[in-house]
Amino acid sequence: VNGQDDLADQSVLNLADAAVSPETGRQRSALVGSTFDALFQRFYSELFGLVYRVLGDRMETEDTLQEAFLRLSDDAGIQARPEAEVGAWLRRVAINLAFNRLRSAKRARARLDRVGRLERSDEEPSDNEMLGPSGLVIRQEERAAVRLALAEVPERQRDCLLLRHSGYSYAEIAMTLGMAIGSVGVLLARAEHAFRTAYRRQTQA
Amino acid sequence: MNNPTSACPDIGVWRAWLDHEHETLQLEQHLAECPDCRRVVDELREDAALVRGAFAMISPAQTTVPSGADIAVARERLDWERRHSLATPSVVRSREPIPMFLTRISIPWRIAASGLAAALVLSVLVSVTPEGRARAAGFLAQFRSQQVTAVELTPQTQAEIMRTVTALGNLGTINTPSGLTARPAAAARGGAEQTPPPTLAEANQAVGFTLATPDPATLPAGLDKTPRVQVMPASQERFTFDKAKASAYFKSTGHPEVTLPDAFDGATLVVSMPSAALLQYSSSSSGAKEALVLGEAGELVVDVEGKVSLEEMRDFLLGLPGFPPTVVSQLRQITRWNETLPIPIPVQVNWQTETFRGNQGLLLNDNSGVGSAAIWHESGRMYGLAGSLKATQLQRIADGLAVR
Repeated sequence: VNGQDDLADQSVLNLADAAVSPETGRQRSALVGSTFDALFQRFYSELFGLVYRVLGDRMETEDTLQEAFLRLSDDAGIQARPEAEVGAWLRRVAINLAFNRLRSAKRARARLDRVGRLERSDEEPSDNEMLGPSGLVIRQEERAAVRLALAEVPERQRDCLLLRHSGYSYAEIAMTLGMAIGSVGVLLARAEHAFRTAYRRQTQA
Repeated sequence: MNNPTSACPDIGVWRAWLDHEHETLQLEQHLAECPDCRRVVDELREDAALVRGAFAMISPAQTTVPSGADIAVARERLDWERRHSLATPSVVRSREPIPMFLTRISIPWRIAASGLAAALVLSVLVSVTPEGRARAAGFLAQFRSQQVTAVELTPQTQAEIMRTVTALGNLGTINTPSGLTARPAAAARGGAEQTPPPTLAEANQAVGFTLATPDPATLPAGLDKTPRVQVMPASQERFTFDKAKASAYFKSTGHPEVTLPDAFDGATLVVSMPSAALLQYSSSSSGAKEALVLGEAGELVVDVEGKVSLEEMRDFLLGLPGFPPTVVSQLRQITRWNETLPIPIPVQVNWQTETFRGNQGLLLNDNSGVGSAAIWHESGRMYGLAGSLKATQLQRIADGLAVR
């Protein structure tokens, strides 16, 4: 990629360029090939589901996925691997980024507050969830309790729990966590038990 | 009491069995015979059910799951960020000590910039007159940038604007007339590695006016007095509204109630972007962080062709689903909309109006004080100045600008 071109792109005066249309943007951005595009299309939604469960915030989830795919775009070696391996790699990266974000202590509190606000406006209650405003607040606290409990579970167990309850198979979990399929069950069993304990503490606190 | 005929499997096996990931007849037989394992399985089942219930609460709602359009926007955004991340190592650390300020400002700036098309449309569309009157009211039929004003954007509104702008693309077709972008000396853009950067004289010729340069005495010590020059050619983008395409799009996004008014069908927005030159003053000594970038460009001109009336276009665009109300209200407050270029500024960047060489412009500072930038119009030209400098230094350099 032409360094000068990028430099020009950064210039404050590059206002002319500022009026680019989305389609032009697409033309100008043929930086990564069709393989990458295919991977992006293939994995974006499922990773969104995974990360959203951790963060509970659409914007934060989008930011996290940007970071994960940015890393993928920088790594031609990973992109060249079979799709299943790329998926495993992306899940690992996305989960780590998501929990790092959650952990970032100072932001966590503000974030949880915001999650409260966002989700209330963001998510329409489903049919069996027409609880009225107070009901929604309660759900909000419940969601926070789930996420806090999840964050308390030891890392590997936590990842396993998240993957399983986001719908991944044992084979996919094994590939993501780099372990034997035969060991997924015991890790999951421990994870669920640890979660239950942490969750009970959260909801009783 | 039965004695199981086989050794008890571990909890991992049972957990997998519950998920139908490990099914054998022996396991079921064993379970039938072994009360201990039945207890284990019951407990595993309870744990799993509780976790399932808890996770059901944090799963994304149907309305939160990204749509195809959301994914497309995310893909666009990735390209912007990727270009930025590619530029950072090569530009900041090695060849060009471009101030941190610039690179830091550039992500939100670029993202915001992508929304400028929409902002422009909004401020510009107001100038549209029906075709018949276009000539008579020529000065009103087009937008011509003469001054700048700030429009503050939060990261969230940036994202919303991006979504809206991407959606705009679905209401018609965009094309860049070929031939309008080619300029001889502008080859700097494509072939920088092969051809040397243009000289100032070449740049003057390419942009079609004589570039002003700073008074060398005002440049910070350590900066080369000779700039590296880049030229960006003029270009034109045409956006033509297409009623059929728009209807199909609105229907597909669950907004069948929104339609493109008939008058819009075939109406074309023509954005003519001026050629511009970029002068970079950097330090030849490695490790020095100072740098200064001066940009100069002609006027940005936007015309509308077709029979769209002012109010129609304005109402329609302001009513586009997803356009952030805070931005709309800021744009509405621009009184001289047909000559005022809205400059999107991320909220984390400080800005104030400031006079540069007798012209009102904007002075931008990031909170860290690492750098500042100025932007103003003067005699039909747009000037931008940015550097790892204090605002007062920037002001001095601006004051010293002259055609030499």
